[in-house]
Amino acid sequence: MAPRPFEGERSRLRAREESDVDVFYRWINDWQTVKFLGQRYPRSMTFERQWMLGTESRYGEAQFMIETLDERRAIGWLGLHAATGEDRSATLGIAIGESDFLDGGYGSDAMRTACRVAFDVMNLHRVDLTVFDWNERAIRVYEKVGFQREGVLRDAIYKAGRWNNLVHMSILEGELR
Amino acid sequence: MTTEARREARGPMPESPFEGRLVRLRAREPEDEPKLHEWFNDPEVTEFLSMNYPISHHAERSFLERAVDVGYQNANFALVTRAEGRMIGGCGFEKVSAEDRHAELGIAIGDRAYWDGGYGTDAMRTLCRFGFEIMNLHRIQLDVYDGNERARHVYEKVGFRVEARKRQARYKFGRYLDVYVMGLLEGELRLDD
Repeated sequence: MAPRPFEGERSRLRAREESDVDVFYRWINDWQTVKFLGQRYPRSMTFERQWMLGTESRYGEAQFMIETLDERRAIGWLGLHAATGEDRSATLGIAIGESDFLDGGYGSDAMRTACRVAFDVMNLHRVDLTVFDWNERAIRVYEKVGFQREGVLRDAIYKAGRWNNLVHMSILEGELR
Repeated sequence: MTTEARREARGPMPESPFEGRLVRLRAREPEDEPKLHEWFNDPEVTEFLSMNYPISHHAERSFLERAVDVGYQNANFALVTRAEGRMIGGCGFEKVSAEDRHAELGIAIGDRAYWDGGYGTDAMRTLCRFGFEIMNLHRIQLDVYDGNERARHVYEKVGFRVEARKRQARYKFGRYLDVYVMGLLEGELRLDD
């Protein structure tokens, strides 16, 4: 069977298309989605379209939509940012925009696929991420797939009237579960 | 909850800082241009605003081109109703200083059908919450002209205080107007009437 590096058991990672702009605009302006992220400001459709059309995936900035395997429904997005050839390291960002898919294992599945892409397609040695310390559901998922906590940046992000601690996590090649 | 109480808070995020009771802040779009052009060429709308001259379509277009990329130095929004998503005005911060954690606030309800009914008050509260809770400002300042009683009443209701009166600082429509400088510090925003 041909390898399917961008497919998991429930979801696949695919390129972002111009036709995704509408759903992306909805997610990126939905507080229930962006409260978990570093994103702080409302985003314009214009900015979103320029960004989406101007950033085709490459080694230094790989960007994907997460869609369900069965219905091909876009449920979120995922990126591997700032990869460097010297360190073979990148920073992962993920968000599920469709709240119906927050449970059901879609996040774990997409995380595993992303790590396989990182190690098997991009030949990275390390993937790291940051997460708010109160986002316990996400931390559980990251730990489940093999990420380890590396430290906490205290009061690193001011958002929604409060200081947030930022947990740093990483996974090295060979550690994916 | 006061801003001070929020500052001490930890854990999961509260409700959306982009939304008030009646209005929502959204990023501006090029499609907003016709309404802006209509409003800001209407003397009834501009009577108490800083502009002096008619404004062209291309000036509005280039303003919007800059405005689509929202951020700390470019926190400028369309005001839309939560109920219908209808754009009724605009608002934002200028002269944002990270050292002073200070910014100047500007707001205009361009659609006259929404001049009463609490939309301005709700928009002010939402924008000030955004300034304190997202931008982490310490102080927000604005100018209001003598005679603009409706606006001044709203500003005072949400917690702004008159700090200075600049005598005959503006010349509008054939007469000099005194300009009041109002300020609001973090912890002073009143979210309830």
